[in-house]
Amino acid sequence: MKPPAAGRTRLSFAASCHLLLLPSVLLLLLFIYLPVMWAFLKSLYEFEVGSKARFVGLANYLEYLVIDPPTWPSVLNMALLTLVGVGVRLTFPLIVAKLIHSLPFERTRYLYRLAFLIPIVVPGVAIQLLWSRMIYADYGLINEVLRTCGLGAWTHSWLNDPRTALTALMFFGFPFAGGFEVLIYYAGLSAIPESVNEAAALEGCTGVGKFLRIDVPLVLSQLKLIFVLTVIGGLQGFEGIFVLTQGGPGFRTMVPGLWMYYNAFAFQRMGYACAIGVLLFVVILGLTLLNLRYFRSAEEMQGGTS
Amino acid sequence: MSRPATIRLFRYLSLLGILTLGAVLLWPAREAPAVAGAAPVRSPSGERKHVLRITAGQNYLPGSVPQGIGQPLQGLTRVVADFEARFPDTKVEVIAVPQEREFLVTQLSGGSAPDIVAVNVEDVWVDVQKEWYVPLDRYLEAPNPFVVAQGDPAAPGTRQWWDMFRYQAITRGKAAPDGGNYCVSLDMVETGIFYNRTFFVQHGLRPPDTWGEFLTLLRRVQELGKVPLLANVDSLSDWGTDLLFDQLYYDLLPGIDVKLDDPVRAAYLQGYLDSDELSFLHRKGFFTRRDPRYVELWRRLGELRPFLTKDVNALDLTREFVTQQAVMIWNGSWMVYRLHADRQLGFEWGVFYLPPLTPADSVYARGVPMCVIGGVGSQLEVTSSAVSDTDPALPFAERIARSERLQRVVSLLQFICLPENTARIVNEYPAFIPNIVGVPVHPDLQPFVEILKRRYTTTKWVFSFDLRFTDILKRTLHLYLTGDIGLEEFLHWQEANVTTATANFLQRKTIDLTPLERAWVRLAPVRAGYRDLPPEVQP
Amino acid sequence: MRRGRLIAIHAVLLLTAVMTLLPFVFVVNNALRDNSEYYRSFFGRPEAATGLGRVVWRYATADQRALVIRDEGGEARLVGRAEAAGHYWARLTAGSRRAWVVLRPYVLNSFVVSGLTALGVAVLGSGAAYILARYRFLGRNFIFGFILATMVFPGVLTLVPSFLLVKQLGLLNTYWAMILPYVAGGQVFAIFVFRSFFAGLPEELFESARLDGAGHWALYWHIVLPLSKPVFSVVLIMNILGTWNNFLWPFIVNTDDRHQVLASGLYTMARSAVAGSAGTMFAAYTLSSLPLLVLFVYATKPFIRGLTSGAVKL
Repeated sequence: MKPPAAGRTRLSFAASCHLLLLPSVLLLLLFIYLPVMWAFLKSLYEFEVGSKARFVGLANYLEYLVIDPPTWPSVLNMALLTLVGVGVRLTFPLIVAKLIHSLPFERTRYLYRLAFLIPIVVPGVAIQLLWSRMIYADYGLINEVLRTCGLGAWTHSWLNDPRTALTALMFFGFPFAGGFEVLIYYAGLSAIPESVNEAAALEGCTGVGKFLRIDVPLVLSQLKLIFVLTVIGGLQGFEGIFVLTQGGPGFRTMVPGLWMYYNAFAFQRMGYACAIGVLLFVVILGLTLLNLRYFRSAEEMQGGTS
Repeated sequence: MSRPATIRLFRYLSLLGILTLGAVLLWPAREAPAVAGAAPVRSPSGERKHVLRITAGQNYLPGSVPQGIGQPLQGLTRVVADFEARFPDTKVEVIAVPQEREFLVTQLSGGSAPDIVAVNVEDVWVDVQKEWYVPLDRYLEAPNPFVVAQGDPAAPGTRQWWDMFRYQAITRGKAAPDGGNYCVSLDMVETGIFYNRTFFVQHGLRPPDTWGEFLTLLRRVQELGKVPLLANVDSLSDWGTDLLFDQLYYDLLPGIDVKLDDPVRAAYLQGYLDSDELSFLHRKGFFTRRDPRYVELWRRLGELRPFLTKDVNALDLTREFVTQQAVMIWNGSWMVYRLHADRQLGFEWGVFYLPPLTPADSVYARGVPMCVIGGVGSQLEVTSSAVSDTDPALPFAERIARSERLQRVVSLLQFICLPENTARIVNEYPAFIPNIVGVPVHPDLQPFVEILKRRYTTTKWVFSFDLRFTDILKRTLHLYLTGDIGLEEFLHWQEANVTTATANFLQRKTIDLTPLERAWVRLAPVRAGYRDLPPEVQP
Repeated sequence: MRRGRLIAIHAVLLLTAVMTLLPFVFVVNNALRDNSEYYRSFFGRPEAATGLGRVVWRYATADQRALVIRDEGGEARLVGRAEAAGHYWARLTAGSRRAWVVLRPYVLNSFVVSGLTALGVAVLGSGAAYILARYRFLGRNFIFGFILATMVFPGVLTLVPSFLLVKQLGLLNTYWAMILPYVAGGQVFAIFVFRSFFAGLPEELFESARLDGAGHWALYWHIVLPLSKPVFSVVLIMNILGTWNNFLWPFIVNTDDRHQVLASGLYTMARSAVAGSAGTMFAAYTLSSLPLLVLFVYATKPFIRGLTSGAVKL
């Protein structure tokens, strides 16, 4: 780092730096810090848009944690969906990326990469609508295939049947290769220096063994990234569920984020929604701290052994 | 040129080509013809003093193709064009908005709602104290200027705009709990059970006269290998609940209707239990697991369970009826259009109404005919956006009195209510029964005209409380109807749901329950003869 | 690599690719079919395409005979080749034309919102990152911490208050209701990525330029920017992907149709009367994918280069 240019006082230089950073900071203050503080404050009130707010203390928290029936089923759903999401996002795309990467010609590699990129360009909401109206629908792909095979008795209204809805959500996006992850893993694999591969080949380390012992540890930072993104997405994401099942049937696929959305924008219980948001924040913050701690120690360990 | 250079050149040229094509396609050159739904349908632009924005609901959205059949709708566009011709300083935009209630709430709170919205007026009632809607009584009680201008002194509307409506009782029954009227009801909709008459004739079946016969019929059809009845959670939670409620509580009404002396609505809504009364009665122990009739209601609704289609939340139930996989469908009069327009239908159809529960069917029933559950279809409300030309600091009533823009909005509604205009809108396709005197009814809708002559319903549960109540009712009913939860668990949910909803309602509205309590005490002798009341009130 | 192994890899990849892409094939196919075709069978070929093929064949073989076409009511008519071609073309594109009328303003809005957001994020993000990375001044670490700390606030927490804020600011139903919060949130990731990249640039470059008398602005413009193209491509593409696909926020803050973007517009469309026509909906899915398809076909290479060059430390 360079000290400031000569001919200026330290203070005025700092001021000019601050001035240049001001737009960024102001935007953050206005659109992130202010809403966050507002959320904390309003979670102590009961208020409806268009009406006066009423201070209720911790009643909103109490209602959510103790009284409101959808709470615990939805927390369980969230945990299950997140776990499964992490599981599939750490495996399927990595395998696909590894397979593409192991092809000998750049041309074919490029074509496969492009093929798996196509789903990214389709708006996410279109993919969700597509799955609900075309793949899982009563007269959708799965059921039509079953009927064609004479297995009409196996048909389900996958997203509207209480027994299948959650599983159907977990399989949304199968085979999980049409996303960003393939590209990230591919980039990670490409960054492995040729010398490492050569050394592995010399020691007779190839195939699955090499993949597990050499490749996976070397794309650990990518795996970590996807892990963190998937966990955060799983905890706070609900757009997909909103489009696919609206949390139904019953509360079989409800998650806390979606319940917050309904309370805020459908039931007009803004304060209550804020309380749910704050609780989710606490969970995410806790996990982030845990994650920082765990991963730092893992990295240090790695640094120590290599 | 070297190969990479050629490739690069090709890349640039192709990109340029694509971008040009994109620009051409995106260029907003001319007024796009109104072909499909969600796009705003705009009139020729130009500087106008008033730009009114209205939604007419999904049913009459210009440019949309109802149920994907036939030509795009044009009726409302034409009426609006005539209106603009009369008022050259006014431009009317007919816009499409999503049906989600969260939209309406955000719009109204943000002050960006259309001037006229089309929502169930019961959703309006809960927000009237926020001054989001304009009460229309003073206009309805005055002459309709367009009728007056036509010069026929005998024409309905000359004396009062009110007189133009065909179904007076139902229309006036839409008054809010505060007594005010917030909607103009353009049409009526009624439900019924559409059945495949060809199939009925083939197998010697006939429409049932009692609930017991109805269940027998459903069982017969099932044995014949068809889906007996198509009905989804939306209709069962709404229509199904209210119809069965009416059947089971009808006998009790004289002893529990604690608001008989409602000055505004009593004449039209005899025996209707509104949100106040339902809340009051719940505090007395009704609508709980200890209320035998309430348990019976859900048990009876659950009887339909085995005869429904697998997917009780299906988006398009009609499909299975049209393809003759299912024999009956509980649906609204709008399905007449779907069947009417399908030239490849290949079977005759008919409509019957739900048969009553007789004493043989249930100890709580008397066999009174089922009541009407439909009613007003398109309900047009004027929002606070209409007074946006006045000073927001003024009291709402003052703004309403001063607003010139509001005058124009009301004029538009008055204009739409002229028989020739309503005819163009409502009768563009046979789905709804016009609510304006002098507008002919499509002959295919006749069965529903007959149904509409019945007595009005006792309750409208899903419109009585907040949306949370309705949401939880629908969600848990879905589970109950798929057999995922049993009656016990469902009742557990529902009782808690009613308790929360009524408590919230009473707290929000801060109504005075003492007159109801007085009426309750007064009615005690009437209740003395009743059996099977909740234990708390059992005399 | 052994031949058998290569074949196995290709087999697995092809199968996965087919399973991934098959739904989209159906989408495109059904975009060309009308409701009655769609209801009758799920997998069939578009009749209009078959018909059009027949007409083209007649032109190719100079066959002048008239063709039989069926109108909407199912009645058959004999018409000449040109009219038949027009008829089939109209049927083939009916869904797309209907969908485009609805989608066109949404696409424009998406361009405006995503474009301005990307611009804002690039300018603010790289500028702030440059200052934070290359200068030492009072409060630098505090400000960096202040910026990074926002990453722990989940979107769900701010959803409701952000809406109230935007409403309070009178920004509902404007582009700014989307752009400003997007830039505010999006710049954080950008600053994070840019800063680590800028900090890694060798000091000698700056040193020599400074000796030539270059000011801060010149340093940024002539040294930092040319070196950072791959990073910019990564940041911009990630940002555009995020804003392009975000549907909930536009859905909430746009209460009228005028500023609806593609993602929220598609959802609205799927819930509106248009959804009754399957062909129109499928055509809408197809059309809505084209802009990003173009972006990716032309920007994948620099993007992957940016990701793999080690410039981006994720």
